[in-house]
Amino acid sequence: MLVLSRQRDESIMIGDNIVVTIVDIRGDKVRLGINAPPEIPVHRQEVYEAIQRENQRAARLEPGDAQGISRFAGRGNDGPTRPPEPPRR
Amino acid sequence: MRINTSRFGRIEVDAADILRFPSGLPGLEDCREWALLADSENDALGWLQSVSRGDVALAVVCPRRFVPDYQVRIPRSELSPLALTDMRQAQVVVVVGKTGTTLTLNLKAPIVINLEARTGRQVVASGELPLHYELSHHRTTLKKSA
Repeated sequence: MLVLSRQRDESIMIGDNIVVTIVDIRGDKVRLGINAPPEIPVHRQEVYEAIQRENQRAARLEPGDAQGISRFAGRGNDGPTRPPEPPRR
Repeated sequence: MRINTSRFGRIEVDAADILRFPSGLPGLEDCREWALLADSENDALGWLQSVSRGDVALAVVCPRRFVPDYQVRIPRSELSPLALTDMRQAQVVVVVGKTGTTLTLNLKAPIVINLEARTGRQVVASGELPLHYELSHHRTTLKKSA
């Protein structure tokens, strides 16, 4: 791993279009500012890994497991998040 | 287009109905093409079925039907790959999971679909939102996001 020392308000560049700036240092916390093109997703690693694990787990759900979910459903029409209307199986 | 699925048997999907997820989904990066199916027994439930992997499908629901106060804030950088010109083109669904016998909703990472362009993306919403929101009869109020 490349290790660089930086002070507050200093930056590093990754490639020619990603800039990571040390915005603040307080105790054991560092605040980073990240400038990256929109097609480069930036995530907190532990959040991203938790989402990966959750998707892999959720992908094992069977139709039988999900039955009964309608017991918790409220009324349907709520504008932009209305229920899917895909082809019926 | 025909997909041999482990859950629903062989299904026929119109090629025009295929949703493209250019980045895949976290943890399922190789699944770029999905079909959104309605559950035949359950009108609150849909299934995102992977086109390339018949064994991979995610149960999805419209979050506001289950969590009326769910308000999702998504960083612009997360949405820009979807090229939405009008938010009315966007459909937001969340993935259903299960912890023990309790069904959960992933409110932290909703899936946003551009219905016009047939593209989709799972995004990471801003603020404190649960990855496992437990469905129960006692409505819990979402913590205000930071």
